Amino acid sequence: MPSVRHKGLTPKQMFVRGMLVLVLSASTALFVRALDYTGPQVIACTVFAMTVLATLLFWEFRLAVAFLGIAALFSCDVLTLDRFVESCELPVILFLVGMMITVGVLKELGFFSWIIQLIVGMHHMTGTAFAVTVMVLSALLACAVDEVTSIVFVCALVFQVCDTLRVSATPFLIMAVMATNIGSAGTMIGNPVGLLISHRAGFTFEDFLIWAFPVMLACLLTAVGVLLVWFRREIRELSERLEERRQQKQALGPLVRVPYRKGLVIFVVTVAAIAFHHRLEALLDLEQNTLLMTAPLAIAGILMVWRHERAKHYIEVEVDWWELLFFMMLFAKAGALEHTGVASRVARDFGTAFHGSPALLLPVILGISAIGSAFVDNVVFVAAFMPVVRELQATPLWWALLFGACLGGNVTMIGSAANVIAIGVFEKRHRRSLDFWQWLKVGTVVGVVTCVVAWGGLTLMAKHMPVRPLHPHDGWGAWPDSHEAAPAALPDGPEEPR
Amino acid sequence: MSQGDSMADSTNGASFSSLFTSYQVLCHTPIVDRDELICEMVRALGPALGQGQLDQVVKLAIEREDEMPSVLAPGIALPHARIRGLQRLVVAVSTSQKGVRFSDDVGGVVKLIILVLTPHDSPAAYLQAVSSLAGILQVPGTADKVADLDSGEKVWHFFDRGGLILPDYVCAGDIMRRQFVSVHSDDTCEAAIDLFVRHQLADLPVVDTDGRLAGLVTADALLKVCLPDYILWMQDLSPIINFEPFAELLRNEGKTWLADIMSDDYVTVSEDSPAIEVAKGMCKRGVRQVLVLRGEELVGVIAIEDFITKVLRE
Repeated sequence: MPSVRHKGLTPKQMFVRGMLVLVLSASTALFVRALDYTGPQVIACTVFAMTVLATLLFWEFRLAVAFLGIAALFSCDVLTLDRFVESCELPVILFLVGMMITVGVLKELGFFSWIIQLIVGMHHMTGTAFAVTVMVLSALLACAVDEVTSIVFVCALVFQVCDTLRVSATPFLIMAVMATNIGSAGTMIGNPVGLLISHRAGFTFEDFLIWAFPVMLACLLTAVGVLLVWFRREIRELSERLEERRQQKQALGPLVRVPYRKGLVIFVVTVAAIAFHHRLEALLDLEQNTLLMTAPLAIAGILMVWRHERAKHYIEVEVDWWELLFFMMLFAKAGALEHTGVASRVARDFGTAFHGSPALLLPVILGISAIGSAFVDNVVFVAAFMPVVRELQATPLWWALLFGACLGGNVTMIGSAANVIAIGVFEKRHRRSLDFWQWLKVGTVVGVVTCVVAWGGLTLMAKHMPVRPLHPHDGWGAWPDSHEAAPAALPDGPEEPR
Repeated sequence: MSQGDSMADSTNGASFSSLFTSYQVLCHTPIVDRDELICEMVRALGPALGQGQLDQVVKLAIEREDEMPSVLAPGIALPHARIRGLQRLVVAVSTSQKGVRFSDDVGGVVKLIILVLTPHDSPAAYLQAVSSLAGILQVPGTADKVADLDSGEKVWHFFDRGGLILPDYVCAGDIMRRQFVSVHSDDTCEAAIDLFVRHQLADLPVVDTDGRLAGLVTADALLKVCLPDYILWMQDLSPIINFEPFAELLRNEGKTWLADIMSDDYVTVSEDSPAIEVAKGMCKRGVRQVLVLRGEELVGVIAIEDFITKVLRE
């Protein structure tokens, strides 16, 4: 995902990178034109390619480029206002706004302080116990709130303990980030990618608990094992320092009485409302996912009434409008790929190449999304690839896309939002960067191993996945051995381009 | 070299003796009053300054001296002022056998007085002059030796023979504070807190037993020990309203080693780095103090206040 920060690029670097974006975008245009794509399809592909490249090479300018891309699509009549509103995934955006406000309130109420104090105050802590705790906490927090929130709070814990004990925070930071990325695949709220997929595929929170969470747990356990071995020397050193500190009768940090109860109640209510949205929707005869998307907004609204003097702060500071606007522009561009027929055409090519076999397509999609997400923003990648998976119409492929996008983020230190945030915190604190190659080595091992585990898990579960409409307007997600007939054939051809 | 003939607009690389002639040396002055002596020395520079502004120059030099006595070495004072409209650095020298009191401290009576007037917009000129004199300022007995010389010519030759050259640029070593407070890495938090309180400091360099820089303890770091991020997230301060987190620090201050809380996040320059490197470090890293090293040994500190005073006012 996000490329390294580009503050301080020299004019020469700016020029070279700018030319690279233009040349590669133009090459994309020529390439798809040579494949007989229509004019609108060429424009949609070129604008999307330009956005991806700008994300990679001009991280600071990504929103500006996203705006310009949307303007270009409007100008060329490839996108209309109605299509934009339809494609920009407003429910997902509103869900994220609600969650960000709720997390901001939880932070101020001391909920996260309480969790960290629970760990800081643990008696008989050892290096291994700390490493496992950090990884499990990272993964579960990512499941319960989101990956960005999780890593921000877990980073604080890691630095508190490592800085107090004067040991390198790097290994524990890497463990936390990797567990966060893995955990973010466990529920739909763990990652914007999960939300996007759930919205498009019509998955409920329970679907995630049944089909994604167990696979995530298997991946997490594997990653914990790999990382405990990989960083065994650093963990042993932490154990020794912990023992020394214990002998001096010194704590790992100040412990104060945190009034956490209100925060805990809000947290439980929020998670419960999201977790049981499907049952409540059925009970109230509401359209699918209506409550899922509105629950965080409703809770945020109540919290803003309760803490009205801080309401403006939550909106202005806690909500990451920059990121959300970028997502909206990105989703709209992905929508343009879909409605111009690019997605269905690519899907058809995919289906032909792999004989329409979901069993073959599963590792392919998992692998492609993992590799893609290692270097490009996983939301960007999923937004681009989602229409293709949607056209392929097989439930397990959605999960493959989710796991590929989340697990691939572990490969490089720029592979996900969590990585970039953790690196940013580390750089700010230690005034130096993490070693790209150190990360790549362990990241590749963890990425490959967890992808294999996810592949195995999804393949085992695929035949048991329900064959039901993925979306009110979609076909059926069929798997070769499923009990019901698999009516899904690959689409005949692209949607009629505009 | 003849007196004064090599004086160029740029004094870089020039010898100190080229900044004055024997006519600007008041040898064995009978004056014992500081202000009166400064007035006489300014008058000796009259032709270089222009008669119209002599009173103003005297006023500036005395005001500057009142703010901060310029006794830089035993028996030697370098009063100075920045003069608007002055084109180049000018110097007058005076010797006194009786001595002139420049400050109330012990050693405040001086026998060698070097008045340095610099253009107002030349930040480094005075520091370059001081730097060129570093060789004689550090030699014990210089003041008595020069004060014994019985003519302006001999005094001028003393400076000329010394090979005192104005440096091309001011070094960190020229503006650093050589006397500074530091702590040892095997000291405890208790010692650091005592020093913070006693000297009203915000940063304390930590050195090892060989004087090598080991780290930096900041008052911020001490506060952070008590108020880590996870406590600062809370908006409701009632759990810490009575400084509860500080209790742990007080309980353990005698057994918390500075090595456990010191930071390696500091800015260093070598003693011979251009002083502008100091300003660069302060601006780029947002620190208020730069540590000056000779090899790995900590030999001085430059606080932002010192830098501004030396470069913009002295």
